[in-house]
Amino acid sequence: MEHADVLVVGAGASGGVVTGALAEAGFDVVCLEQGHWPDRTDFPALRPTYELEARGGWGGNPTLRGRPEDYPVNETGSDIATLMYNGVGGSMVLYAADWPRLLPSDFRTRTLDAVGDDWPLTYRDLQPFYERTDRAFGVSGLAGDTSLPPGGEFPLPPLPIGDGALRMARAHDRLKWHWWPAPNAVLSRPYQGRNACAHYGSCMQGCPEGAKASTDVTHWPNAIKAGARLLTGARVARILTDSLGLAIGAEYVDAEGKWDIVKADVVIMAANSVGTARILLNSASPRFPNGLANSSGLVGRRLMVHPFANVTGYFDEPVDAGGHVGAKIVSYEFYETDPDRDFVRGAKWSLAPTGGPLNAALPSRAGNSVWGKEHHAHVRHHLGHSLSWCIFGEDLPDEDNRVQIDDSLTDSSGIPAPKVTYRVGENSRRLLDFNIERAEHSFAEAGAHRTAVESLMRFSGWHLLGTARMGEDPSTSVVDGWGRAHDVPNLYIADGSVFVTSGAVNPTSTIVSLALRNVEHLIENRREQRTPR
Amino acid sequence: MTDDKLRVWLGAVADDLIPAADGMPAATEVGVTGSQLDLVLAVRPDLARALNRAWVLAGEHLPGPALRLLADLDPRAHQAVLEIVAGAYYTSDLVKRLLGYTGQQPVPVRPEDYPAYLAEDLLDRVVDRGPVHRDPDSLSRRQ
Repeated sequence: MEHADVLVVGAGASGGVVTGALAEAGFDVVCLEQGHWPDRTDFPALRPTYELEARGGWGGNPTLRGRPEDYPVNETGSDIATLMYNGVGGSMVLYAADWPRLLPSDFRTRTLDAVGDDWPLTYRDLQPFYERTDRAFGVSGLAGDTSLPPGGEFPLPPLPIGDGALRMARAHDRLKWHWWPAPNAVLSRPYQGRNACAHYGSCMQGCPEGAKASTDVTHWPNAIKAGARLLTGARVARILTDSLGLAIGAEYVDAEGKWDIVKADVVIMAANSVGTARILLNSASPRFPNGLANSSGLVGRRLMVHPFANVTGYFDEPVDAGGHVGAKIVSYEFYETDPDRDFVRGAKWSLAPTGGPLNAALPSRAGNSVWGKEHHAHVRHHLGHSLSWCIFGEDLPDEDNRVQIDDSLTDSSGIPAPKVTYRVGENSRRLLDFNIERAEHSFAEAGAHRTAVESLMRFSGWHLLGTARMGEDPSTSVVDGWGRAHDVPNLYIADGSVFVTSGAVNPTSTIVSLALRNVEHLIENRREQRTPR
Repeated sequence: MTDDKLRVWLGAVADDLIPAADGMPAATEVGVTGSQLDLVLAVRPDLARALNRAWVLAGEHLPGPALRLLADLDPRAHQAVLEIVAGAYYTSDLVKRLLGYTGQQPVPVRPEDYPAYLAEDLLDRVVDRGPVHRDPDSLSRRQ
C-alpha cells in the first residue's frame, strides 16, 4: 500500500499542474491515473488513414471509443455527448489547444447580468496565474487583444493565420467587428526542449511532434524528476474517509484487476467534471449518504458543456486554412451582453480549417454530402475552399443538468458509471441562433458563395464544467474559493468542476491557472492544513 | 466479413455512390472493395459489425434501394457504409494524387515572417475601436 503526503486523482491538465507544484515544493505526491502514457508513435497523424481513424478510436467520446481505460457514460438523457481522453495529459492530448482566457465579466455574471453566480475571485486575481501558465505550457500569441485588460506578452510569437483567416480578418475590418490572432498552446518556435509546430493539422488526434502543449510533455517529466509517483492504469473507485470525516486516501483497481489503496494526508481530485463527480458520488457512506462533499446536494449538478455551433463558409477561390487545427483567429464581437438582444451573455468565435478529402465528402460538422455523378465536383468545390467559424456559447448553470450514478451501467472494473442529464436552455438556443446569423454575415462579407450550419452539435461536449462549484456559502457550493471541500477539509478539487459559470471560451487555460493558484495557496498554508494523522 | 458476395454487393453500392466522373475513377477502380476495404476495417474494426448488418438487411437489393432501405431501417449501418466507401476511396494514393491532396505533411512554422495583417494595419484599427470587454469595476464598453 502506497502512502503519500498528497494523492492526486487524474493526470490530466489540472492533475499535472498540481502534482508538479507539490513535488517541486517537496511534497511526496502519488497520482492515480486510469489511463496510460500516450504513445506518440501511435498517433494517427502520419498514417494515410488519418481522417478515418480520427472518426473512430481517436474520437473523443469514451463510450464509443471503448478502450479498456475508458468508462462508459449513459447519455441517453443528454442533448450533448461528453468528450474526453483518459490518460496522462488528459483531454489535452486530443484538444485543439485554443488558449483563451475568461473575460472579466465572466467572473461577475450575477452582478452584471442577473444570471448565474459571481465567482469568489476576479479576473485580476487570476491574471498572474494565466501569465505564468502561458509560459509553463508554451503559448503562442499576440498581446494587446482588446477582449482582455492589458497584460504581459506571450512567451512565443503567434502562429501564422494563413490566407483564409486573413480574408476573414479583412472582412471583420470592413464590418468594424472584433478579431484577433488566436492564442494557441502550440509552439511557434522550439521552446524548453520541445519542437515547434510542424503543421500536421492533426492536433485533435494527438500531436506527433510534441509541439502542442499537454501535461504529459509540459509538466509530468519534471514532476517525476522532482519525485512524484505516477501510477498509470489505476482507476479510482472511491475516496475513503475516517471517523472524523477526513479523507484518508482512495481505493483503486489496476489494469490487471487487482484492488489496492493509496493513503494520503490530502486528496486532490483532478478527474474532470464528469469523473470527479462520479467518484465523489460513488464515495457515499453512512457519514456522507449523498456522496462525499455533498451536503449542499450540488455535487454533479450545474453541469455546463458549452452549446456549440459550426458555420462553414464556401469560397470559389482556394483558401489556405492548413496547419494547426486550433483557432487561427478569434472574434469576441458578440461575447458580452447587449440589452437589445433577446438573450444574455454571448459567444466566442474561433476560425478553424475544415479538414481533408474525407471530411469534404462526409462532413463531420456543418455541411452536406453529395453522391453519384456530382460527388467529385462537390468534393473539389469543398476541399481547400472552406473555412469554419466554431461558435462557443455561454452555458448558464442549471441544477437539472447533472451527473448522477447510473442504476446499472458499470465500467469494465464493475465500478458504477455516470449518467449525464443535460438539456440546452432557451437562452443558449437564442444565443446560438443570433451568433449563427452573424457568422453567416461574416462569411458573406468575406466573399463566401454559401454557408452551411450545424447548430447544437451533439458530439461537442469537450468542456466539462461546474459539477462541484466554488463559493463562500457551504449550502450553495461544494468547495471554497481555494478549491477545498466545505465538508472535508483535506479534500480539494482542481479540475473544471469548480467553475461557477462557464464563460464562453475553451476552459483549459482557466482550469490550469486556477489549479496553480489554488495549489500554491495549499502549499503556503500547509501548516494550517488538517490531516488525518 | 471478407465474403465475396458482400464485396460484390458493396462494390455495386460504392460505384453508385462514387462513380467515374470528372476525371476521377469509380470506387471499385481504386480497390474500395479489395485491399482498401481491408485497410479500412483494420483501422476501424468498429465499422465491421454495421457493415455486416447492412449486408444482411439490404444485400439482396440494388444499390439505390439498398441505401434507401438502410437509411430507413438502420441509420448507423447506412452511415457505416458511407464511411467505409468514402474512407476507402479517399485513402487511395491515386485518388489523393488526382485531388492534389498531400495529407499531413510537415511544414515548418515561420513566425518571423511579418504578418500581412500587421502590414495592412488591421490590428491597429481593432485597437483604435477600443475594448470589447466589460470591466466589472467600471462597466465600460465601447458603444
